[in-house]
Amino acid sequence: MTDEMIDDNLAVSLQGVRKCYGSKVAVENLTLELKRGELFAFLGPNGAGKTTTIKMIVGLLQPNKGEVRVCGHHVGTNGLEAKSQLAYVPDQPFLYEKLTGREFLYFVAEMYNLTKEQRTERIATLMERLDFSEYIDHLTENYSHGMKQKVVLAAALLHEPTVLVIDEPMVGLDPRSIRTVKNLFVERTRAGGAVFMSTHTLDIAEAVADRIGIIHRGKLVAVGTLEQLKSQAQKDHSLEEIFLGMTEATDAC
Amino acid sequence: MRVDAPFERRPLIGLLLRVKMRSLYNRANKAADEAPIRLTVSVLLVGLIWFALYFMFDLVFANLERTPLEATVALPLIFNFFFMAMLAMLTFSNAIIAYGAMFGKNESSYLLTSPLTPLDVVTLKYIESLVMASWALVLLGLPLMVAMAGLVDQSNQLLFYGLFLAFFLAFIPIPGALGLFLAWLAARVFPRRATRVVSVLIGVAIMVSVFWGMRSLQTSDDAMEIWLRNFQSRMRFLRAAFLPNNWVASGIDHAIRYRFSEAFMYLGVTIANALFLSWAVVRFVARYFDGALDRAMVGRGEGVRYVPAAGGGMTGWLFIYLPKPLRIIATKDLRVFMRDPLQWSQLAILFGLLFLYLSNMPTLRIQLSGAGWRLMMPFLNLCAVSLILATFTCRFVFPLISLEGRKLWLVGLLPMKRSRVLWAKFAFAMTITLAVAMSAMIMSLIVLKLNLFWSITHLAVVASICFGLCGISVGLGARLPMYEELNAARIANGLGGTTNLLMSVVLVAMVLTGVGLATWRSRFLPFMETPEVSTIAMCVFSVSLSIIVGVVALRIGGKHFAKAEV
Repeated sequence: MTDEMIDDNLAVSLQGVRKCYGSKVAVENLTLELKRGELFAFLGPNGAGKTTTIKMIVGLLQPNKGEVRVCGHHVGTNGLEAKSQLAYVPDQPFLYEKLTGREFLYFVAEMYNLTKEQRTERIATLMERLDFSEYIDHLTENYSHGMKQKVVLAAALLHEPTVLVIDEPMVGLDPRSIRTVKNLFVERTRAGGAVFMSTHTLDIAEAVADRIGIIHRGKLVAVGTLEQLKSQAQKDHSLEEIFLGMTEATDAC
Repeated sequence: MRVDAPFERRPLIGLLLRVKMRSLYNRANKAADEAPIRLTVSVLLVGLIWFALYFMFDLVFANLERTPLEATVALPLIFNFFFMAMLAMLTFSNAIIAYGAMFGKNESSYLLTSPLTPLDVVTLKYIESLVMASWALVLLGLPLMVAMAGLVDQSNQLLFYGLFLAFFLAFIPIPGALGLFLAWLAARVFPRRATRVVSVLIGVAIMVSVFWGMRSLQTSDDAMEIWLRNFQSRMRFLRAAFLPNNWVASGIDHAIRYRFSEAFMYLGVTIANALFLSWAVVRFVARYFDGALDRAMVGRGEGVRYVPAAGGGMTGWLFIYLPKPLRIIATKDLRVFMRDPLQWSQLAILFGLLFLYLSNMPTLRIQLSGAGWRLMMPFLNLCAVSLILATFTCRFVFPLISLEGRKLWLVGLLPMKRSRVLWAKFAFAMTITLAVAMSAMIMSLIVLKLNLFWSITHLAVVASICFGLCGISVGLGARLPMYEELNAARIANGLGGTTNLLMSVVLVAMVLTGVGLATWRSRFLPFMETPEVSTIAMCVFSVSLSIIVGVVALRIGGKHFAKAEV
C-alpha cells in the first residue's frame, strides 16, 4: 500500500499481516484499522495471537507478510517515527529496579525530549491522578505489581502519545485505580489519541471500548461496535456470551 | 496523506549511560545502608585476593629475574598464553552476557519501543557486557602490573604503569566486540537453544585447548633441549602477527626492556584495531538487530517440546530409592537441572577437565614411580575433586531452597512434613555429586593403581565430602535463604551464600588435612602394606567429621524451614 492511499485519520493500520513461530501460525491474514479518537479492545483466548499482534504494532516482532503502520509511518522501515508516536505498556511492566519511580519518570521524559516545565507539570498531574506520590521516591524494586503498573502507565502517558498500546492494563490495580485508568483512556481518545487495549476483562471492554475485535487461533473472527457484534452473533446477550459463542463456533469449524 | 511530523533524531546513549550510573549509585548506597558488614567483608576479601595475587606474581617475577636467559624466553610466552586465554575467555563471557542483555531481558524490549535507535540500544549493551565481563580482568591485572613494575627501574615505573593499564583497556574491546557478534549470531542461527549452543561451544573449546596443552607437554624419549625446541615450535602460532594477544604481549615485553617506541607502536596497533572492530561490530549488529531480536523472540515462542519418557525415564529411576513424595520433588529438580545449560555445562566442563587430566596423567612429565608420589598424586586429585564439589554445591545447591521458597504455597501444602522437602533436595544434590565425583575418583585410582586400603579410603572420603557439602548447602540454604531473590547467582553471592562458601571450604580443609596427614605418614611405607591404626583412625575421623557436619546442618536447616514464612 502506498502512503497516498492511507487514510489521514488512521492511528494504527495492519494490512494482511501474518506471523509464524516456526510451523505454528500465530496470526493469519490480519487486517485491522484503528482511527484517531478511538478506543479499541482486543479480545481473545490465551494463545490466540493478541500479544503477537501488539508486538508487531510496536515493532518488536516483524510480520512474515503484510505491513503495519502507526500514524502513517511504516513500523518496519520508519520505526523511529512510528515509535515516537506511540507508547506501549506490556503485561509484565518493566522498571529499572534500582531507580526510584521519580527517577524513572525523569528518564522517560528526557527520552521524549520534554522540557523541564512539561516534565514537572505532567508528572505532578499523573502522580495525583494515579495516586502514587507516597512511594514515588522509593526504589521500584520494592513496589507491588499494582504500584509498578501505575508508574509504567504514567510513564507511557507522559509524552501524550497519539497511540497507546496496552496489554492487560487493569491487572493488579485496585478498583479506584481501575476507574482512574478508564477515565484516562477516554480522555486520551477525546484528545484525538487512540488506545489499543488487549484484555481478558470483558466488562471493562464492554464499558469503555468504541470498537471490539475478537481474535481466535490467529484469525480475526469478529470486529465492530458492541451493537454490531450483537447483531453479528444474532443475540442480544452480554459481551461474555458473544465472546464464548464466537470462539466456540470457530472451534467447531 | 497526513503523516505526523518527523521525530527529531538525537543520540541518547549519554542519557542511557547516566541512568545506568544512577542505578549503580543507588545500588551501592543501598548496600552501604542495609548491609554494611557484607560490603566490608566483600571489599576485604577482594583486597585479600588482590594482595595474595600480588605476592604470587612478585615471587614468579623475582625468580625469573634471577635467571635472565630463561626470562627472555619465558616472559613473552607467558604473556602470549595469558592474553590468548583472556581473549578466549572474555569472548565467551561477553557473548553470554551480551546475549542475555540484548535478547533475554525485558529492558531491550522496553527500550526498543521507545524512540531510541537500535544503535543506541546495541551500544549500551556492548558497553554493559564489556564492563561486566572485563572488570575482573582489570582487577586481577592490577597486581600483575604492580608486581611486574618491580622488573623495571624506578625512573620508568610510572610510564610502565600507564602503558600496562593502557594495554589492558585497549585489549578488552576486542573480545568484547567478538562476543557481541557471537551473541548476535547465536540469536540469528540458534534462536531456540542459543544458551545451550554457546555453553557447548565453550565446553568444546576448553576441552580442545586443554587436550592440546596436555599433548604439548607429554613426555617423549627426546632430550630436554629437543623437547623444549619442539615445544617452542608448537607454540609459534601464538605469535602470529594478526593475533591481538601477540600485540599486547609484545608491547609489554618491549616496555619491560625499555624499548618504548616499539611498545607505543604495539599499543597504537591494539587501540586502532579495538576501535575499528568495536565500531564495525556495533554498527553491523545494530543494522541487523531487529531481525535477530525477531528470531530470538520467535524461537522462544516456538519453545522446545519435552516429552517425558514412560515411567519418568532416567530421571525417574535415579531416585527409585526415595519414598514417592520425595522422589517427585527430586525428579523435578533433576529435570530443571538438565534443562538449564548454565548448571550442567559448568559441572560438565569442570569434571570434563578433570577426566581429561586423569586420562593424560601417564603421559605427563611427572615421575610417578616414587613411593611418595604414588600416594601424593591421588591425594592431590582428591583435593581437586573436593574443591570442584564445593564450588558446585555453593553455586547450584545452596540457592535451591530460596528458589523453592517462592513456591512454598505449593510445596508447603503437600501432605508431608515440610522438613522432608530438604531431604528431597539433599537426595537430588547427593545423587548428582556422588555420580560424577565417584566416577572421577575411580578413574584416578585405576590410573594410579592404588592399593585396596587407600582406594577404599579415598572413595569413602569423597562420598563423605559429598554428604557434608550437600548437607551444608541444603541446611544453610534453608537457614539463610533469600526468598525474595529469583536470580540463583545473586542468591549464591549473598551473605548466606558467602557463609556457605566459607563453611564448605573450612569443611573441605579439615577433612583433607586429616587425610593429608595420614597420607604423609604413610608415604614411605611399602606400597601394599596396611598403615598403622593411628593413620586409619585419622581417615575414619575425617569421614565421620564430614558426615556429622552434614547431618547437623540439615537438622538446623530443617527446623528453620519448618517454621519459614514466605
